[in-house]
Amino acid sequence: MKIFRVNMTNQTVTAEDVPQELQGFGGRALTSAIVAKEVEPTCHALGPNNKLVFAPGLLSGTTAPSSGRMSVGAKSPLTGTIKESNVGGTASQKLARLGVKAIVIEGQPQGDGFYCLHVDKNGVKLEEDQVLVGKGNYEVVKKLNEKFNEKIGVMTIGQAGERKMLSANISVKDPDGGLRSAGRGGLGAVMGSKKIKYITIDDTDAPGVSVADPEKFKEAARVFAKGLTEHPVTGQGLPTYGTDVLVNIVNEAGGLPTMNFSAGRFKGANKIGGETMHDIIVSRNGKPTHACHPGCVIRCSQVYNDKDGNYVTSGFEYETIWAFGADCCIDDLDIIAQADRICDDIGIDTIETAVTIGVAMEGGVSPFGDGQGMLNLLGEIEKGTYLGRILGNGAEFTGKAFGVTRVPAVKGQAIPAYDPRAVKGIGITYATTTMGADHTAGYSVATNILKVGGDINPLVKEGNIDLSRNLQIATAAVDSTGLCLFVAFCILDNAEAFQAIIDMLNAQYGLSMTADDVTELGKTVLKTERAFNQGAGFTAKHDRLPEFFKRETCPPHDAIWDFTDEEIDSFWNF
Amino acid sequence: MELEIRLFTGLKCNNQELPCFGKQEFYLDAPDEITVRELHGMLGLDRKTSLISLINGVSRPDDWVLKNKDRVGIFPPVGGG
Repeated sequence: MKIFRVNMTNQTVTAEDVPQELQGFGGRALTSAIVAKEVEPTCHALGPNNKLVFAPGLLSGTTAPSSGRMSVGAKSPLTGTIKESNVGGTASQKLARLGVKAIVIEGQPQGDGFYCLHVDKNGVKLEEDQVLVGKGNYEVVKKLNEKFNEKIGVMTIGQAGERKMLSANISVKDPDGGLRSAGRGGLGAVMGSKKIKYITIDDTDAPGVSVADPEKFKEAARVFAKGLTEHPVTGQGLPTYGTDVLVNIVNEAGGLPTMNFSAGRFKGANKIGGETMHDIIVSRNGKPTHACHPGCVIRCSQVYNDKDGNYVTSGFEYETIWAFGADCCIDDLDIIAQADRICDDIGIDTIETAVTIGVAMEGGVSPFGDGQGMLNLLGEIEKGTYLGRILGNGAEFTGKAFGVTRVPAVKGQAIPAYDPRAVKGIGITYATTTMGADHTAGYSVATNILKVGGDINPLVKEGNIDLSRNLQIATAAVDSTGLCLFVAFCILDNAEAFQAIIDMLNAQYGLSMTADDVTELGKTVLKTERAFNQGAGFTAKHDRLPEFFKRETCPPHDAIWDFTDEEIDSFWNF
Repeated sequence: MELEIRLFTGLKCNNQELPCFGKQEFYLDAPDEITVRELHGMLGLDRKTSLISLINGVSRPDDWVLKNKDRVGIFPPVGGG
């Protein structure tokens, strides 16, 4: 495999062998290792010294179930920390089959012109292309499908990325031409700062991924697939209802942030929950079950149509629906679906954007519950008006612009869909993760609320620091494999399926790793990322939740954030 | 005693002898000091998989004793994120 370097300062592309010390890395382990080694932590994230790294996971491109995830890494312009944003779609598997270990985009061109990259069996080619500049992601994908074919892999930024907005994401085409997002941390702005509008991937006649012991790999993959299909969450709940099934249970548990994090229950919850969404999708001939990448057996995505049966969006996730829904007090799934589509099209993170709108509503920009008002604000971002540029820079920026003190963000990144006062394990993750507030970094909700991998009370402190630590270490390892993080629901309960992942890695790479080695990999990733952040000026004082969580209680449990600084800092004792 | 019941994610009352048969959200007149497990049985809920029972928003084990006016939410295994 090769690492391709695209130098945008002099517009050259080089291919190099993978250094020995990076050969055992993929996905997040690889993006974070490269960023930590090669990027000066104090650099401006949108300047020439930042680097944008794309890396398929270790198992991507093989027949391992649900292994088509890719990591995108850089210094984040939103948080100022290191960032790994994880995404599905078809790009990861195509890149892996083409022998691409990573693509590193560095430097910065002079002038205003944009470029595109094309990856195929001959390598990586850089060209100027202004034709699609200013276009939304849906049109970019449509035009590239016409130029190449329906199977072409696409990674693209919308207008938000071109304008270097801090909530800009990178969109990746899914198997049906829909969009998946490397959503968090403003990596679309980094791609925009490098003047890359899109990347196309053609894996025709790709050499494929070599597997050292194909028989052993096949058997381990079979065991793993069986574990995923037999677990009630990965085999039944997620394929049937998607991630939005969480609305009702998180609401019932009193942890569904409502009206810009001023309460933990939303009276319109059931109207926006996964069960209602499922019925709407079925009644409109959409797809309640859909895979974001080929070979996924969980298939938690879906295709949501409007009242006339026309496609609106896919990958309509719980966090998006919570944020535009409960957090903004909107209980109309059709409005929320439109909001999701607009975000995908202009290329902005739905969590950051919807939390931003909740903050703006708190600041009097639009009333809570005003769906059309919310869509109008998204229109401002799309047009790039002054108001749109404030909103497009995220919740913290917007809070400052409108004098709002209840701003749910950690290290500059908006807090997602679980109130940390009522789900304390996820609060520890928000506070301590190297990424800024990110639920996926250590999904304590699984054990706090969903009773997967044990049962730890979400309303008291006991056990929640250890829970978050263990999950963050495990997640850093899973994010390096290319496996979807949702496999965790299965492997937390099923030791045989967990072993099957190690067996697949060993069979592919001719290794003899143990579970302890996987844990060590996760620890190494976290420590590498933390060292980068420390170099950028972050200290323990940044591992804190916003003050209001300690001052304001969250009904119905009247829960409060009550961890001491010393308790939070003990997270890093490993 | 009276319980405020919400069943989610495909669960519904399967006991034909109860007025709430087929419903997901209802008030139930239940015997005093009934346990969560006994409530599951009374409602004829699927026992092939473990259920998550939130009593007044707090997860409780199946041997938990219910009180008058409790708000009960019952879920099959779910996940997402």
